[in-house]
Amino acid sequence: MTQVVVGQILNGIILGSLYGIIALGVTMTFGITGIVNFALGQFMMIGAYATWYFTDLVMLPFPVSVVFAVAIAAVAGLVADQALFRFTRNNLVNGLLVSIGLISVMESAALLLFTTTPKNMDVVIAGSWSLGAITLPRMKVVAFLLLVAVIGLTWLGLSRAWLGRATRAYAQNPEAAMLMGVPTKALQTGVVVYSCALAGFGGALYASLFSLEPSLGALFILKGVEGAILAGVGNLLGALAGGAILGVTESVGSLYLPTSFRDAYGLVFLVAILLFRPAGLFGGRK
Amino acid sequence: MKHCLRACFAGALLTAAVVDVASAQTGTVKLGQIEAQTGPNAIYGYMSSQGVPIAVDEINKAGGFKVGDTTYKLDLIALDTRGDPKEATIQIKKLLEQDKAKFVFGPFLSNVFVTIFPYAKQFNGKFLMLGGGTRIHEFVGQPGNEFVIRSWNWDAGPRGFGERMVDYLIKTAHPKKVAMLFQNDSGGKILGDIYEPIFKARGIETMTEYFEPGTKDFSPVLAKIGEFRPDYLFPGYSDAALYDIVRQSIEGNYSKKFFLVRGSTGPGLKNKDGIEDYIVYVPKDFEEAEKSDPKVKHFVDAYKAFYKRDFPYDQAPLCSSSCYDHVYMLVAAMQKAGSVDDVEKIRKTLLSMTYEGMWKISFDDHSEQVFNFDIVHLRKGGVKEVSHVEP
Repeated sequence: MTQVVVGQILNGIILGSLYGIIALGVTMTFGITGIVNFALGQFMMIGAYATWYFTDLVMLPFPVSVVFAVAIAAVAGLVADQALFRFTRNNLVNGLLVSIGLISVMESAALLLFTTTPKNMDVVIAGSWSLGAITLPRMKVVAFLLLVAVIGLTWLGLSRAWLGRATRAYAQNPEAAMLMGVPTKALQTGVVVYSCALAGFGGALYASLFSLEPSLGALFILKGVEGAILAGVGNLLGALAGGAILGVTESVGSLYLPTSFRDAYGLVFLVAILLFRPAGLFGGRK
Repeated sequence: MKHCLRACFAGALLTAAVVDVASAQTGTVKLGQIEAQTGPNAIYGYMSSQGVPIAVDEINKAGGFKVGDTTYKLDLIALDTRGDPKEATIQIKKLLEQDKAKFVFGPFLSNVFVTIFPYAKQFNGKFLMLGGGTRIHEFVGQPGNEFVIRSWNWDAGPRGFGERMVDYLIKTAHPKKVAMLFQNDSGGKILGDIYEPIFKARGIETMTEYFEPGTKDFSPVLAKIGEFRPDYLFPGYSDAALYDIVRQSIEGNYSKKFFLVRGSTGPGLKNKDGIEDYIVYVPKDFEEAEKSDPKVKHFVDAYKAFYKRDFPYDQAPLCSSSCYDHVYMLVAAMQKAGSVDDVEKIRKTLLSMTYEGMWKISFDDHSEQVFNFDIVHLRKGGVKEVSHVEP
């Protein structure tokens, strides 16, 4: 049983990294634009379907499909920002309403294009690695490493590069950042587009692991928001940790408690943490 | 001039008479449909909502159907419940009160049926509802529920397809332990209630787990099941979950042998190199049937022409419930009953007849459908063996 638990801890961390990349998008978008973009799950869906389309139908190599998928999600994010989100900057309610409307439109479009029949991408990396009773599919491990790498690079970029420092400066004090010559409009658009591209990347890896259906984004945006809140909104590396903690809570909780309430375990844990640390696990004390 | 006037008058009279006769001889029969065309559980509803419009179109294009001296055309009002019982309640209200539909196809989802049932029951005797939902079984054939007809095979009992499936499993694989993994909802729970006694009666040990709707990562529950070391994994009940369960079960070495009574061959074929055994109840194996059955071939061609897209072979078997055949069967029942309005007479006719379309459809004493079906047995590499069953 110990090995089964260890296996599920590892599985939870891997799955949590998918939550983490959405959480990262949520936390960045909220910090810079003041919007909780609930439609990020749908950008993930775009990335997932695009990857499936290019890999299985156009027969492109998986890495090339991922690049196309990320580009498509980014372009869709740019269109959404210029057509909708730029009118809702720093208005939480309007931003929320627009993103909820966008969910409906994008999901319906996916239904129209792909129907409800689940799409299953051919296996990209077959087989598993086993150690005793612990078995981890190779693709899951590779996906985890890629997600960690992207989240790590994003953190590095934001903490080392000028653009990243400008972004953080704007998040901390918009007026001061503007006075220091930070191009705020371009920055806000850039962050929305980047977070959509991140979601698209998450979707691309999701497609290599799970079956696709138009409603796939709904679950992940909820987990992403939970992960961001658990970590403390604004904490970039914390987003990954928040996602991983949620993943582990769900996976291990399902072993000992009824599986049918799997999603509830993460939520209960989130509520328990917020009772003691209202700003999240890695947020500053407020 | 007199002749001319007389001729004009006669012509006018004749025209009026012809117009009068023509208007008296045509009519419309409204056909309502409430199915989940979209949403996570749309797999149960999608194919019905795809098949019914084809039959309606064919009948109308052929000039309609005659009952007595009147030629009727069908007017289909197909509404998308999205699998949401609240939405479905509004829709059934609209169909019965506003549209005055006397025939409603659907729902295929148990949770939708259970919610709309109390309202629909008020219209007992005024309309017929042909739905495939598993939980409809509890309500059909009871006094006061005459409006309900279940358009799907029941699992248990002497003619139950589930019993036949389990017998086939025992005959071919002799399992000692079976783990069941169903969705935590009305449809999933009832599967547990049906199959635990069926397996128990045959001396097979079972373990039942339920997963949350929308689950994608099944590793934890599969790990739990793996500890039970089942000979077969019996997962359900829609392909949306099955693709992931089958793949993850194989990748995690939890089980490579599967037994299904809800779902398609798709997940087995997709993982054909990983499975050892994949036994699935399929109302019809369309790939095989279209080669030998002209009615099936006609439907496949009609689908492609109507929707201008490929035929969904994996979903098509679900067209055995409240779908294409049932439109023709209902029309035949109306013709035989000599009425499009006398609901009770049409019901009795429908329940007493056997219709031979893509399926051979009849109803048992409880207003529940009985039809022939296939058992598809996939083995490693995708080798397929199809057994036809006449219940």
